[in-house]
Amino acid sequence: MSPELFNVAAAGAKIAFVWGVVLAALLPMLIWAERRVAAFIQDRPGPNRVGPLGLFQSLADAIKFFMKEDVTPTYADRFLFNLAPWITLVPAITTFAIIPFGSSLPVTLGGQTYDVPLIIADVNVGVLYMFALTSIGIYGIVLAGYTSNDKFSLLGGIRSSAQIISYELAMGISAIGVFMTAGSLRLPEVVAYQQQHIWNVVPQILGAVIFIISAFAETNRLPFDLPEAEAELVAGYHTEYSAFKFAMFFMGEYANMVAASALIVTLYFGGWSLPGIAFTGVAGALLSIAVFAAKTGLFIFIFLWVRWTLPRFRYDQLMDLGWKVFLPLSVLNLLYVAILVAAGKA
Amino acid sequence: MNTETIVFALASALAIVFSLVMLFQRKPVKSVLSLVVTFFGLAILSVLLAAPFIAALQVIVYAGAILVLFLFVIMLLNLEQEAADKETRKIHFYLGILAVLGLGGLVTGLTLRAGNPPVPVGNGPFLIPAKDEIPLLGKVLFTDYLLAFEALSVLLLLAAVGALILSKRRFE
Amino acid sequence: MNAVEPMAVAPAAYLTVGTLLFFIGMAGALLKRNALSIFLSIELMMNAANLLLLTYARMRGDISGQVIVFFVIAIAAAEASIGLAMFVALFRARSTVDVDKINLLKW
Repeated sequence: MSPELFNVAAAGAKIAFVWGVVLAALLPMLIWAERRVAAFIQDRPGPNRVGPLGLFQSLADAIKFFMKEDVTPTYADRFLFNLAPWITLVPAITTFAIIPFGSSLPVTLGGQTYDVPLIIADVNVGVLYMFALTSIGIYGIVLAGYTSNDKFSLLGGIRSSAQIISYELAMGISAIGVFMTAGSLRLPEVVAYQQQHIWNVVPQILGAVIFIISAFAETNRLPFDLPEAEAELVAGYHTEYSAFKFAMFFMGEYANMVAASALIVTLYFGGWSLPGIAFTGVAGALLSIAVFAAKTGLFIFIFLWVRWTLPRFRYDQLMDLGWKVFLPLSVLNLLYVAILVAAGKA
Repeated sequence: MNTETIVFALASALAIVFSLVMLFQRKPVKSVLSLVVTFFGLAILSVLLAAPFIAALQVIVYAGAILVLFLFVIMLLNLEQEAADKETRKIHFYLGILAVLGLGGLVTGLTLRAGNPPVPVGNGPFLIPAKDEIPLLGKVLFTDYLLAFEALSVLLLLAAVGALILSKRRFE
Repeated sequence: MNAVEPMAVAPAAYLTVGTLLFFIGMAGALLKRNALSIFLSIELMMNAANLLLLTYARMRGDISGQVIVFFVIAIAAAEASIGLAMFVALFRARSTVDVDKINLLKW
């Protein structure tokens, strides 16, 4: 088997694994988990009828989404109206390509041992790929708001996209600190740096806090979810969407949440590594996947937890925070990290 | 017929087809979206030209920020499609088509006929390294092109302030 | 692909694609009446020029071409924001962005 063919097959296997785990298993579990966590925080039972502990609730929801009537508003531009959910969903599920979810897995095939790095695409622009996809995802929201031919949708769409653009800046600038210390944009290098030194959250606590809060704003999660709040804007930019297209928006939001958690873990909390343990061989690779899954799961839980605990920001408070607080603080963080790097090198 | 040729053919076909769609499209929103796809094709071509950082930058800045700004303005001003009448512009229209086809055909033909231009190989410190060109790009930006870089940041600041002032409503 | 090996696709192909896109953009800039469509076509022309610059950078193995493209992209961002602010101000004054109707300076 030629190395090229093996690489293609390995990439296909990794994609199948990540999509299978994330899309087929994690997202339904996440929907169920959100409702159970919400219920626990609000001191009520939550879904407990469909299956043991209500575990098949997501299946019932999926059947409901397929069976509902698909309504299109009268004066909406049909092509763009139908396209918008895809533009939101596809970047959300493709951002997993650059995130390393384990150390390398040695595979022996036909007597020859290959070392398969557990990352789907190790491009040398690294996390810029994820920022690019977030920028593309904005189009889905703007189009959904505009083509619905509805005032609430338009307002929700514009507010949401303006919020994403504003917090993208603070997110990017605070992430630069991580890349300066690691010396590369590629995420495996960032994880390797954290393995040799210390988790990035310790020296760059300000950057980590800014990044995590900006990730909340990027994924439109409370306390930054005014664009889709029920009391204010009916349902924001996905008011006019029903059945399967709404399910696509819904899935896209949760996939974004998972991707954001994975990115936070990789950039600031060591990724798949633990301090002091060497992950070698097949057992090491599996252990590293488990460690990564546990850390990401913790952050997903924090996303869910915060949603049902904090009230939401008003829109002008939200924009003030993004431009007047986080942007200067992230630049300060950049300066601080630059001084650290220069002092360390000198 | 290796993968690079196939990817080049697909990406350039994508770019050219969608730029033609943008040309013939009446509604501003659809022409902006066609241009987004064109820029995607151009970003793929940039990756083929050993410039993945520029490709990411094109998608983030051009397709993801500038064209979103276009969309915002279109939505804010609520622009409808171009007027159907071309009465006063018929002669200009035909002259324009003639000019574009003539000049475009001439230059494209010359480019095709010229083949691969003989260019000398670049000098030492600026040679694109084999594996990863981003460290060299960063170093060159902050050493040899520092003045232009700083001027660019001032320019961006001016543009931000200027855009704010130009679009302010005057309350009389 | 990296920059030290010879190009798999002939540079003339990239140059032709860039030239074609440039002239499609020029057609849009000359023939359209909506000011925003003209502006979009100008952005396409700039991007076609970027493609040509990148081709030459790859042929020479010189990173200066990529640096120039970096600057051009940033300048395009600055110019787009100012241009669109002008269109907004224009629309507020004349209620149209049709360039044929902006003719106060005509003799």
